Amino acid sequence: MTVGDDPRTLAAGWLSPGMLVAFAVFGTLPLWIERVGLYRYLGVEILIWCLFALGFNLLLGYTGLPSFGHGAYFGIGAYAMGLTQFHLVADLWIGLLAAMLAAAVVGGSVALFISHRRGIYFALMTIAFGQMFFFIASKWTSVTGGEDGLLNIARLPARLGVVAFDLTGNLAMSYFVFAVFVMATVLLWRLVHSPFGKVLRAIKQNETRMAYLGYRVYVYKWASFTLSCAVAGLAGGLFAMAQNGAYVQVMSLQWSGVVVLMTLIGGGLVSFWGPVVGTVVYFLARDLLGAYTESWLLWFGLMFMLVVMFKPEGLAGLWQDAVARHAAHRRARAVALQPAASD
Amino acid sequence: MELIGTLGPHLLNGVALGLLFALVALGFMLIIGVMEVINLAHGSLFALGAYVAVALVTPEGGLRLTALAPYFSMPIPGRFVIALLLAPLAVAGVGMLLELCLRRTYGRDPLYGLLLTFGAALVIEELIRLVWGPTERFLPLPTAITGGVTMGGLVYSVYRFFASAFAVGMILLLWLFLQRTRYGALIKAGAHDSEMVRALGVNLTRLRLLVFAFGTGLAAVAGIVMAPIWGVRPHVGVDAVVPAFVIIVLGGVGSFWGAVIAGLLIGMVVGLTGAFATAWSLVSMYVLLVLVVTVRGRGLLGKKSVLER
Amino acid sequence: MALLEARGLHKRFGDHVVLEDISLAFPEGRLSGIMGPNGAGKTTCFNVLTGGVRPDRGRVVFGGEDITGLPPYAIARRGVARSFQLMNVFDEYSALENVLLAAPAVRARSFNMVHDLRRDTGARDRAATVLARVGLGGKERVAAGRLSYGDRRALEIGLAVAAEPRILFLDEPTSGLGADGTARLAELIQELRRVLTIVIIEHDMAFLFRLADQISVIHWGQVIAEGTPEALRADPWLARSGLGAAV
Repeated sequence: MTVGDDPRTLAAGWLSPGMLVAFAVFGTLPLWIERVGLYRYLGVEILIWCLFALGFNLLLGYTGLPSFGHGAYFGIGAYAMGLTQFHLVADLWIGLLAAMLAAAVVGGSVALFISHRRGIYFALMTIAFGQMFFFIASKWTSVTGGEDGLLNIARLPARLGVVAFDLTGNLAMSYFVFAVFVMATVLLWRLVHSPFGKVLRAIKQNETRMAYLGYRVYVYKWASFTLSCAVAGLAGGLFAMAQNGAYVQVMSLQWSGVVVLMTLIGGGLVSFWGPVVGTVVYFLARDLLGAYTESWLLWFGLMFMLVVMFKPEGLAGLWQDAVARHAAHRRARAVALQPAASD
Repeated sequence: MELIGTLGPHLLNGVALGLLFALVALGFMLIIGVMEVINLAHGSLFALGAYVAVALVTPEGGLRLTALAPYFSMPIPGRFVIALLLAPLAVAGVGMLLELCLRRTYGRDPLYGLLLTFGAALVIEELIRLVWGPTERFLPLPTAITGGVTMGGLVYSVYRFFASAFAVGMILLLWLFLQRTRYGALIKAGAHDSEMVRALGVNLTRLRLLVFAFGTGLAAVAGIVMAPIWGVRPHVGVDAVVPAFVIIVLGGVGSFWGAVIAGLLIGMVVGLTGAFATAWSLVSMYVLLVLVVTVRGRGLLGKKSVLER
Repeated sequence: MALLEARGLHKRFGDHVVLEDISLAFPEGRLSGIMGPNGAGKTTCFNVLTGGVRPDRGRVVFGGEDITGLPPYAIARRGVARSFQLMNVFDEYSALENVLLAAPAVRARSFNMVHDLRRDTGARDRAATVLARVGLGGKERVAAGRLSYGDRRALEIGLAVAAEPRILFLDEPTSGLGADGTARLAELIQELRRVLTIVIIEHDMAFLFRLADQISVIHWGQVIAEGTPEALRADPWLARSGLGAAV
């Protein structure tokens, strides 16, 4: 037994029970989603956004940095996917790689400006850059298609050696996105439990102290930002495939705001899975609530405000509280049931 | 080179914008002084001011109540003045609600306050979109302040003159209020040292509420006056908070005239970019923000301001 | 030769001169104290020595190297560690995890995105040793935010010690501690001084006079007196000014 394991981070190396549950649910999603009255494409959307949100949470939940312009990198990934397909080579893997790289390069460049900051300076800079990219994408019509977007992006087949999977159908697309999701989630999980991940969480708790302990804090912040942009780019690339197009709306402040809302409500500040929970809640709100009222996003936003005010740990926080209460209850009962100690 | 000769109207535009930016920034600055958090929703309240004004001036602007028909038959100047008076009050009310919400985040990690005001900005923008629709709205103006006046072969917008004069008036009024009245002194003191104000027995809670109402009301006034220049769109909110922040960083938190001068500078930049590349004028603000924050670095010589947390 | 020296430090904030021509020398292996009333400039001085503030004029020399104006992380890496008066630990992490972060060996591998820190028994054992030294043995798993005040103070110092520094700065370490806590702290410092050069800022003059080899008194941004505790006690000027009165 190693000394002093914090129960919160007690997770087996690469996988965890929570991860297996999530994989079971999302892996089988295409099989039962229609039976609950929803549709296959929703599964695709949810998984893509889960990926986006998980990457985003690396920045918000783990490093404590609020980025309100992350949609820009999602969008850059989407455009990169399309542009690679049209102008370079029509290969799925290269397209996705390009999506990640483009978003990471741009994100990394932006991060150079903001890594030394935090709080409001950081937030406003991310808004400024997000708006600038939104503007560029809207005006650079020759490259991005402007307000209409980059259309006719094909869902290229996934070639693995001799076998090729056709992804034009939503079922196949669901499984493909799921596969990408699995790989990304496992890697992200490993990352947040690695020394690097621990440093990020420490920076979130007390950036000043980390500096006085000899850590070049801005480098870690830079890396965290760039990685989250790479994941956003990957999600964007998948999105471009799913939608058969790259649209400028994804780079808007509203889109960027939605990922913040989802991540926090789900409990990203305290849990790895928070963003996933939040994403599911968002889409359920959108499709179920949205069927009844046009103002569902308003309600979602108000819910966000209430969560920040009263329970910033979000839904995952509520779950953790319940688990802790249950454990304390069990311990109390175990103690009460023990025979009195004799001296 | 002939472009230089046509700069006049753009300079006027820059001055008008700058003065209005300064007004927004001053309200923003007062709030920063007594609060612990930066209000990202300040811009949305700016936009809300314009929208409420639209509702008060045009019958199809939101208040679709037939009972108000006699009100809407009043001539436009009358309705415009009423809008200028009532809309800021309404927005100040919303501002106070926001302050109430923010109370839960005091004393905690500043990240929460930031997230809350961001959420509020989104909520207000969505509210605007739901009530008034996503398309652009127009604020009808009294004919006296519309149109153009030709000077030296160039056409200058009468409205820009009005807007500049109005803004100057408001700024002077604000300055007098802060310098000469008791409440003003309290707000200034609170902006400097809330601990001291509390020690003086002043109800800090009420002071914060008052300052918030005041600051957001100023933003609303600026929003109304800016409406014919910038247009009335739900998204205008974000575009409004950025120059306010840049002004604070440039002019220094707590410097009244520093904010005014910085505001004019920024207005000129935006106005002049409008002269050479119209589409880029709004984006120039974002570029300016990046430049200012990057270069200005720590802001106030080693002293941490509330912006640094 | 002094391990760390400050020469002619000068610092002003706005039009308030906080440090005026301050020169200090901290010999290796000794325990030095800095004392003075509030607002005298002690904290600013500390901040200049450890990198949080850049002086307008003057030099800071550590082990022969000029470290003036270097950022905190750079100075920390060279072996200068400090504790904070307003406690500055990682509340969500356990005491052990706190101390682990401070270890230079862990910091060196901090870009590793794959490794699992729980397997590193060497680092964990060393961290446990540090915790035991500061009196937190047995509390490794407790979240720092849930430790008692006295324990948090101990952890605060533990963090600085775990960084394996050459010189340790303690900023008002007795803050908020009662008689028991102060006694415990004095014991800890007596143990640490055998292997570390220590500099302490303190208000509690009795504490400082008991432990320090030499003390510098700072008032109005200047060093107004300097010497061994005995010499200072005997100084008539100090006695009159009331600063030596408490001892």
